[in-house]
Amino acid sequence: MSAIVKFEHVSKDYQKKTIIEDFDLEIEEGSFLVIIGSSGSGKTTIMKMINGLVLPSKGNVYVQGKDVLSQDLIALRRSIGYAIQGNVLFPHLTIKENIAYVLNLLKKDQKEIDEVVLKSLRLLNLPEDVLHRYPSQLSGGQNQRVNIARALSNQPRILLMDEPFGALDAIVKYQLQRDLKKMHQELKNTIVFITHDIHEALKLATHILVMDQGKIQQYATVKEIVEKPANAFVAQLLNMACKEIV
Amino acid sequence: MLQELIQVFIEQFDFFIHAFFTHIKISFISVYFASVLGIGLGLWISKHKKYAQGVISAVSLLYTIPSIALLGFLISISGIGNTTAIIALTLYGLLPMVRSTYTGLLEVDPALIEAARGMGSDEKQILKNVKIPLAFPFIFSAFRNMTTMTIALAGIASFVGAGGLGVAIYRGITTNNVMMIYIGSILVAALAILTDGCLQLLETYFITYRKKGLAFIRYSFRFAWIVVVLVLFPYEYHSNVIKIAGKPTTEGYILAELVSITIEEHTDLKVKLTHGIGGGTGNIHPAMVKGDFDIYSDYTGTIWQVVLKEEEPYNERRFYELNTKYLMEYGLMFKGLYGFNNTYGLAVHKEIADRYQLKTYSDLAKFSNQLIFGAEYDFYQREDGFNALKDAYHFQFKKVVDLDNGLKYQAMANKQIDVMTIFTTDGMLTSSDVVVLEDDLMFYPSYLAGSVIRQATLEEYPQLEDVLLLLENRISDQEMAQMNYEVEVLNKKPSEVAYAFLKEKGLLKK
Ligand SMILES: Nc1ncnc2c1ncn2[C@@H]1O[C@H](COP(=O)(O)OP(=O)(O)OP(=O)(O)O)[C@@H](O)[C@H]1O
Ligand SMILES: [Mg+2]
Repeated sequence: MSAIVKFEHVSKDYQKKTIIEDFDLEIEEGSFLVIIGSSGSGKTTIMKMINGLVLPSKGNVYVQGKDVLSQDLIALRRSIGYAIQGNVLFPHLTIKENIAYVLNLLKKDQKEIDEVVLKSLRLLNLPEDVLHRYPSQLSGGQNQRVNIARALSNQPRILLMDEPFGALDAIVKYQLQRDLKKMHQELKNTIVFITHDIHEALKLATHILVMDQGKIQQYATVKEIVEKPANAFVAQLLNMACKEIV
Repeated sequence: MLQELIQVFIEQFDFFIHAFFTHIKISFISVYFASVLGIGLGLWISKHKKYAQGVISAVSLLYTIPSIALLGFLISISGIGNTTAIIALTLYGLLPMVRSTYTGLLEVDPALIEAARGMGSDEKQILKNVKIPLAFPFIFSAFRNMTTMTIALAGIASFVGAGGLGVAIYRGITTNNVMMIYIGSILVAALAILTDGCLQLLETYFITYRKKGLAFIRYSFRFAWIVVVLVLFPYEYHSNVIKIAGKPTTEGYILAELVSITIEEHTDLKVKLTHGIGGGTGNIHPAMVKGDFDIYSDYTGTIWQVVLKEEEPYNERRFYELNTKYLMEYGLMFKGLYGFNNTYGLAVHKEIADRYQLKTYSDLAKFSNQLIFGAEYDFYQREDGFNALKDAYHFQFKKVVDLDNGLKYQAMANKQIDVMTIFTTDGMLTSSDVVVLEDDLMFYPSYLAGSVIRQATLEEYPQLEDVLLLLENRISDQEMAQMNYEVEVLNKKPSEVAYAFLKEKGLLKK
């Protein structure tokens, strides 16, 4: 299968400090990639290079075969779903307007917008009566569902999610993980998902990328990683998961 | 008192309503400009952050300039009238708008901006869809405060000859009419409270329907040019209008009315009268030179000292010299001196005058060691004050007291003092048992009042010469004092008093 996203010798410096160095990665179309690693290891930086929010200092990033640097970034971002942590729904817009944000940027017609909005409500198990409410009138879990629906509105082939379930309680998180997994199987899109939680990674991923200090520790399918951790760091990470279960 | 208040209000309803609507006009236009400029500047510095501190410091500095100083400065640039008032009020309104826009935009949650950018909004869309709507409540509440502040502050507009309720208050202060001050102040407060109430309702509405609020802002910006045109329109040049200014004293109000009624009676010209210009000669003179005004009334001694900056004392033998210089240097001239002299003087109680047969200051000197002298505090301080007077006439008063200007007449009525300083046209002279003595050695400079006109105006409307000369030598000291008395003590309208006087003198056609 061909790579939908490809990093080639990518480096990123901030004020002379190198965060990412000579980074290579290929993400298969249709995979559910979970990036996990220590805080500050560069997970978010890598994700933002896919939709051009961060541009590489050296090397190239290709999305669907085309170099990010040679593209219209605004158009690229509209074609990629993006959901981040926290209360990031626009508080002054209704749920419907939030979900349709990208579609409105693209000036889609109202009929199409209505259809998409209704479809995404069903997909994410949201009741229809939330449409004309404001984010402050919804629960935290519902807000995150809307956040995902908003990222999906333009039917992106790639969906980027940066710790989307970070602040949710266990039960809500469990339901959302289940629904997200189901949605992925249905839509067969490519998801890049960042988490701190190894359970979440194991539950959702088809592939896992383990990061530490700007370096790849291991990049493999879930099965491979569990069976053959590449080094002590990865093993320890998995160990933690086992211990917690016990 | 309430009854009196209502009565004055009803009697002068037209005047107050006109002042009220002018007040609304001046303050709303200023609020509008301050908002558009302030929000615009705020948006600009939020994009060009390196200028932010500089711009905010600059508008803060403007905010701290005392209004009198700012107005005085602006008069020299934009002249007398509504424009200057609007500029000043706009400058004061900038700070709250710039600051609230800037901080409002700055304090928008960065995660929301990141989300908007990540979904493919360009910078303009981020501003329009996210930053401005989220900063809106913040900006609107600053707008509310600024509006109330501007309405209150617009009272000072009358200082630069603009209209509004400040005119009523200021007229009340200068002509000693307390009811006028009350009504003016009450109307300002009522306007401020009413407007704030409406804005509060609007605020609640806009918080719920934020999009309507934003559309409102958008339209405000879009139609800015229309307002500019509307504001500038009334100031375009009107021919056949003679612009008359009045000084901020009771006498100034009456004289301006006398001149304007006379002109309207005897010519086809229209008159635009602006009363109570703050700062008097200091501000009217430059406006006359510039052509903002055509005619006003001033005093020979004042022109000599304040305008021509002559140091030697003035007397009327130098009038020709004065008027020639005035014309050569400024293109202005006296045309028709009214006859009365508003100078400093000495007055004694009628009983004292009778008892000692006093007519002149020299008569007074003979008996001064038996009399008590009273004057306001600064008369003893001034170089040309008490000591100079004493030396000139060899006065040796039994006792010398200083007391507040407003209390002098009372003190004399109670016989606490026998001699006091006065102005020769004081309204109070009319009602008191006092006799004004003659300055037989001509110690005091002469301050003959007369009409000042621009040479250019006279050339354009030569018919004005004869009309202004109608007033020549028509008003005596006593008559002027009587008119001042009617306004200050009897609280008559200056225009009524002027009209009655002209009628009595046969200067009205009908
Ligand atoms: N704009 C920036 N300027 C300077 N340094 C930055 C910037 N953005 C990120 N960094 C640094 O780059 C490193 C990687 O940051 P990044 O956000 O990618 O980490 P992360 O793996 O997502 O961490 P976390 O799990 O805490 O979210 C960190 O040390 C961070 O301080
Ligand atoms: Mg991160």
